[in-house]
Amino acid sequence: MGDENSTLSEAEARHLLRRTGFDVSAKTIEKWVASGQTRGGAAAELLKFKPQGFKPNGKTFEDIHDKWVKFMLKTKAALQEKLVLFWHDHFATGISKVADAPLMTKQNALLRRFCKGDFKQLVKEINRDPATMQYLDTVRNTKDGLNENYGREVQELFTLGVKDSNGNDNYLQEDIVQIARAFTGWRYDDKNESYLSNSRHDVGGAPKVIYKSTGQFGLSGINYAAGGEGEGEIDAVTDIIFQHRDSDGRNTVARRTVRRLIEFFGTPNAPQDVVDDCVGTGPDAFDTTWSIEGVLRRIFTHDDFYLGAGAPGVTTHKSIAWPADYVLTTLRTLKVKPKGKDLIIAGGTYNAIRDHLVDMGQTLFDPPSVFGWDWESNWISSATLLARYGFVRDLTSARDGGGTSFRPEKLIDLTLTDANDIVDAVLVVCGVHASFTNVEKTVLADYLTDGAGPINLTDADYRNRKLNGLFALVLESPAFQLV
Amino acid sequence: MAITRRLFLKSGSTAAAGALLAPRLFGSSFVQDALAAIGNRYFVVIYLDGGNDGLNTVVPAGGVLRPWYESARGAGSGGLRLTAANLANTAIANDPNTGSALALHPGFRASPNGSGGAGDGGLHALYQAGKVAVVQGCGYPRYSLSHEDSRRIFQTADPSLSLYGGTGWVGRHLASAYAGQPSAIPGVVIKDAVARDFRQGATSVLAIRRLRDFSFPYDSEFDSLSEKNARNTAFNALHAQAQSGADSGFQYIGNTGATTLASTAAYPALHTLYSSNPTRNAFGKLYDNGTPPGVNRSTARDLLEVAKVINGTEQGMVNSRFFWVENGGYDTHSDQGAGASDGQQFGLHSELGASLKVFYDDLASMGVADRVCIMVYSEFSRRVEQNDTGTDHGSQGPMFLIGGKVAGGVYGNHPRIDPAQLDGEGNTRYRQNGSNNGFESTDFRDVYGTILNKWMAVNPTTVLTADTGDPTRNWTVPNFNMPLFVP
Repeated sequence: MGDENSTLSEAEARHLLRRTGFDVSAKTIEKWVASGQTRGGAAAELLKFKPQGFKPNGKTFEDIHDKWVKFMLKTKAALQEKLVLFWHDHFATGISKVADAPLMTKQNALLRRFCKGDFKQLVKEINRDPATMQYLDTVRNTKDGLNENYGREVQELFTLGVKDSNGNDNYLQEDIVQIARAFTGWRYDDKNESYLSNSRHDVGGAPKVIYKSTGQFGLSGINYAAGGEGEGEIDAVTDIIFQHRDSDGRNTVARRTVRRLIEFFGTPNAPQDVVDDCVGTGPDAFDTTWSIEGVLRRIFTHDDFYLGAGAPGVTTHKSIAWPADYVLTTLRTLKVKPKGKDLIIAGGTYNAIRDHLVDMGQTLFDPPSVFGWDWESNWISSATLLARYGFVRDLTSARDGGGTSFRPEKLIDLTLTDANDIVDAVLVVCGVHASFTNVEKTVLADYLTDGAGPINLTDADYRNRKLNGLFALVLESPAFQLV
Repeated sequence: MAITRRLFLKSGSTAAAGALLAPRLFGSSFVQDALAAIGNRYFVVIYLDGGNDGLNTVVPAGGVLRPWYESARGAGSGGLRLTAANLANTAIANDPNTGSALALHPGFRASPNGSGGAGDGGLHALYQAGKVAVVQGCGYPRYSLSHEDSRRIFQTADPSLSLYGGTGWVGRHLASAYAGQPSAIPGVVIKDAVARDFRQGATSVLAIRRLRDFSFPYDSEFDSLSEKNARNTAFNALHAQAQSGADSGFQYIGNTGATTLASTAAYPALHTLYSSNPTRNAFGKLYDNGTPPGVNRSTARDLLEVAKVINGTEQGMVNSRFFWVENGGYDTHSDQGAGASDGQQFGLHSELGASLKVFYDDLASMGVADRVCIMVYSEFSRRVEQNDTGTDHGSQGPMFLIGGKVAGGVYGNHPRIDPAQLDGEGNTRYRQNGSNNGFESTDFRDVYGTILNKWMAVNPTTVLTADTGDPTRNWTVPNFNMPLFVP
């Protein structure tokens, strides 16, 4: 059993950096291994970033999308961006319905501000976030025309889930209706500030009692408007939701949220005891502090997290890289800097990064539905793999774009003449040397001589064909799709 | 990650892992093998994403249902009531239970060019030709109002969400019917991702957006045959290795990547095959022009891709017989619209109906309409009583079956929309076995089972596990015998 005092092996250090960031810094690995860095020490180092106040400002979807990507390409706090991606999926909101780029920007900044902060407060902020209110119809929810959309999703997707970890219903339709009443009349003004319109708010009707039938609060349920009707109701409802317990007494919101964080950063299908370990106990427990940072520290120091550190031929705990992760990691690893406002890969096909991401199935600011994206093998299909290969082709054939082209000669020593040495060098640059078996390395070495004359990296024609082709094969390889 | 992924090309994979793969996949022996599964027929699934409002899809136009309908759907501004005038041209047969007159939503009679010819007249024209079975009140006991859960229930055919390891019902059929043919590619999904209805690990299902673009992206400066072969050899070897790796995601990518490279050798040509035929090409243009102006055309364009693959299968170039297409945007909590043609649901229905009509006419012209069955479903219907300008989530709703050998007409009973008979949540009750005064509901699995039984000619229990002891599975095998097809 390891804990926060366990020292990191090289493979574990690489795993932690890859899962919490994009490209992996060989220097950091070297430093950590040499100094005997512990899991806890490394986690503290990764989590010490100060949430940056970056806002992807712009008038159009293209503006804000590309600004966020550009920021992610440069940021030194990659973990923050991974968290913003996670919360963007968790509180999925799409510009195709919101139809207002500044509202999406505002939400993105909110997610960044709270990315490792107080989860309960984050939900309270989301409750009155204009983009969310637009996307989930809060602005159309009035005393005369109750709209249940937000009342359902705030429970199903943002907090409780449909069923608890023991398969019991967390809420019923009647609870959705009652919670929808709390949100009646919430709107936002022309400065994008939310407020309660009293004339549209449901007041003086039947008691606002929830969870009568789930047994959480006794047979009579709990009245969320006991403190008075009006503005305070939505916070009161949230406080009650956050007290919800599974049938075995554990906090429902804490368990579900932690499980999702483990699935994102660590391993899918974690056993319940791992989830409960990461919820924690005592004064630091997630269901007391609601500190996301605390959960992350527990995840990054847990044995379960490091099950995925092995090669994909050996471990069963790899995760499939999200398209955004795949694109950013590749660009950052190969030091390719897309050009201009539209982030074009210059020198090859001149396609925009945005279009590549759309084709791979991850349009930032526009998830497919309120459920966000489907993860893991759902990222993979013939269509999305071809999109990944198309991105790789664009990158590795970009030779004529001046300073922004792909320049393998800056990454690889061109005096190398042995096929195995060249393969090793490329795999090291791509950060997947340990993921490839000897058989797979031989396949790549054979490619260097297949259909070509003797290996000569200093010959531009050979290099452009075979070294670029080797990079393409590695970037297209199954191992490189995994984190 | 719950899906068990059987290894693609598990046995004898070394021989297939190189350039030999493509001929093996599309060779004649494979074509012959597959004919045993669905014969020379085709099956197309169309999923209406978001929960289509069934009450404004198969609409009470008269009889005892009409006053109940009018009490639930308002006439004023934001009201969703379809008037007698709205419904005048889309009548269908009466409700078998109440005898009330029924009509399709007026959007289903989209007449973009008024020619009355190919593509004109929408779904209602197909109904009038006797090619549409309207199956009312399809649902399941203890309905879920969650999009995700109900969608999964329809896709896996399992209201308990505990059977089948997350595999789709069509996927289970493919796994069973194509067992021992791991390189068969019987299914094509027109989407970025493999739809859950088709998911399983035993056969490959392609996800294709556009055939024309379904080509492998080689570096155009170095795309000599020898360089391509060298790349393909290495690519296939790496993917074959991944298929025998430990991690299930690794295996899945290995499998999908290898299938993708092989298929890119065959599928783009299907586009050319279709458009180089003048008759087909003329139809191809109708998929765009056959849609009313201002209406989204993405579903029509998706169905055009299906038509191209069917055309290719008919010519022996590939062997895909199962397809999946979606038509999105049905989560009409607000601004749903009623009979005005600029309304949200009107646009969706126009798009769907016009697309289906062009597709059917194209299939008829190819001579395969009698061998195609199209099934249309949504994850649930919507609340009987409307909200301000839209509708919230509801229980059972209608399904459509369309095809040359579909026995057109109205099946099942209209849900019991009497306000006094709704459940505590304002939804129609799902009831069977004579317990609903004639308003008995239809289990959606009876429709699936009938398709398996009569269309795919397989024993439905290979896909649907009957269990009369479980109240969520209270259908029985003899029910898989609805009269939805003409012999």
